[in-house]
Amino acid sequence: MITAEHAISRFRRDLTLGAAVRFALLGAALLCVLVGPFFGKRFDSTIALFVIGMVWLVLSFRSARNSQQTAMFPSLIAAGQYDVAEQQIERTLNTFSMFKSVKVLSLHNLAMLRHAQNRYQESAMLCRALLGQRLGPLDHLTKTSRLILADDLLELNDSAGAYEAIAELYNYRLTLGEALRLLYVEQDYLWRIGAWDRMFAGINTKVQLAEILPTPQSARTQALLSLAAKKLNRTDWSDWLRRRVELLTDVQSLIGQRPVLRELWN
Amino acid sequence: MTEPTPVPFLDVPMLLEHSQPAPRTAWFWYGLGTFVLVVMLSAYASTQSPEMATLVRMLSGLIMVGLMVGMGLITWFAVKAQRSERLQLEAAEELVSLRRWPQAAVLLEAMLMRPTRSPGARVQALIYLSTVLARYHRFDDAISVQNHLLDNVMMDSGTSHALRLGRAMAMLRSDHLFDADRAISDLRRSTRRAEERNSEDVEDSDGSGTTPTPTFESAGLALIEVYRDVKTGHPAEAIEMFTAKLPILRQQLGHRSGDAYALVAKAYDLLGRSDAAQDAFEKATLLSPVDELNRRYPEVLSLSEKYNAALAPSAA
Repeated sequence: MITAEHAISRFRRDLTLGAAVRFALLGAALLCVLVGPFFGKRFDSTIALFVIGMVWLVLSFRSARNSQQTAMFPSLIAAGQYDVAEQQIERTLNTFSMFKSVKVLSLHNLAMLRHAQNRYQESAMLCRALLGQRLGPLDHLTKTSRLILADDLLELNDSAGAYEAIAELYNYRLTLGEALRLLYVEQDYLWRIGAWDRMFAGINTKVQLAEILPTPQSARTQALLSLAAKKLNRTDWSDWLRRRVELLTDVQSLIGQRPVLRELWN
Repeated sequence: MTEPTPVPFLDVPMLLEHSQPAPRTAWFWYGLGTFVLVVMLSAYASTQSPEMATLVRMLSGLIMVGLMVGMGLITWFAVKAQRSERLQLEAAEELVSLRRWPQAAVLLEAMLMRPTRSPGARVQALIYLSTVLARYHRFDDAISVQNHLLDNVMMDSGTSHALRLGRAMAMLRSDHLFDADRAISDLRRSTRRAEERNSEDVEDSDGSGTTPTPTFESAGLALIEVYRDVKTGHPAEAIEMFTAKLPILRQQLGHRSGDAYALVAKAYDLLGRSDAAQDAFEKATLLSPVDELNRRYPEVLSLSEKYNAALAPSAA
């Protein structure tokens, strides 16, 4: 099993190496064009350019194949096939790629995998390494990484760190999926600081959105909203949400995840 | 002067035809021919004089760089177009999730009226289209889209299962009971096969290290079977199925398990068990609005007159 530290160091090394290879090939091609004709018959720049082009094509093809593989990782993780995902991510991380995107996606997927495996410390480390990079066309990964990081930090009881990650997300335009995930993470943060008013604000919309979340996340979000309503003496909302939660999930396992929710069933 | 024929909203045969990705032009052979021609011409020119040879070398270098830049630009435009298509698909998915059906229909129609850039995007858009068509109660159209996908596209087992479920539900809604029964039997067989494969994997994992996958049970299939039993007047079987499958209905369907509670309320009502029907109807309306349940299953329409729905809290 690949460690987070090893993955990060490999990722950084490969980014540097990939950039060096790209610049070397482009520089060599430019030299062939600009300087080659002055060497006369001693140096055939056409052949040199052809060789450079072939090397570029082969390396691009390998990178494209790796890129195709990375597209499968999220579905493997979602299907719970962690071992297969682990093997494939490790292979992609250990293979040279000329382009940054393959490495970035692999590291991002490794962070997702570690999060799914409840290895929050490693997942947070990977997310931070990713967020430290300029992602360019893959900038949309920044939002997902921040959401994972915020969730990791909450699981590690680092509310201040989670706040920073969440606050940054308000600078972006989120997709529906990201907005749903933010709702889930943010409610988990707000109860920790006792911001019951903020949790209850816009509860109609929040409940509608929570209904679209996957069942376990939906149940936990609605349970936390029910707790906020109870704290604010809105028993109508609190009872209604609590009864929904009882239909959606096993209450004891929910209390096991967040003991503060015991208050709803006392 | 003749009146132009009005184009029908979401014309399925037309959308299926127009959305086919355009076949790729065989640029490779044109490119190869040009390349050979250029090589021959430059070889000929190089033999004429040393000055000409130097000029040819310079020109071929520039052409090579031009080709690399050109390929880069073509790739950039292709990526941009694909990203735009992906964004449209994401928007369609969001609109369907948020039940903004008119907007989703307009967007999908616009997407499918012209060739999609990739077959995958077309498949995804057609899957959303079948959902939108079912929402507008155009079940025969939804079935034709689902049949087209199942007959012509290789899909992963999860997507194929979801499509078959949607098709079976559409068949039930449009009273094609014989076809629905056959579709349910097919689904049962494929589910059983998946369960057997999983149990083989679990046994195998002791010896060879194969990763065991969780047992495959389909809550969607259970819901369809409950609906079929209610629709065909077999309430006792519907209740039995619901009771046996409640844990997976809850786990896999989440709020949509409200549908199963509504149908089982109808089953209890058919058996004259009013207390149980009241309890199930209250649970159903706790999870889903009454209007939504009535729209999905016209058979439960009468329940709201006989039983009390769960009281939603006043707006905050």
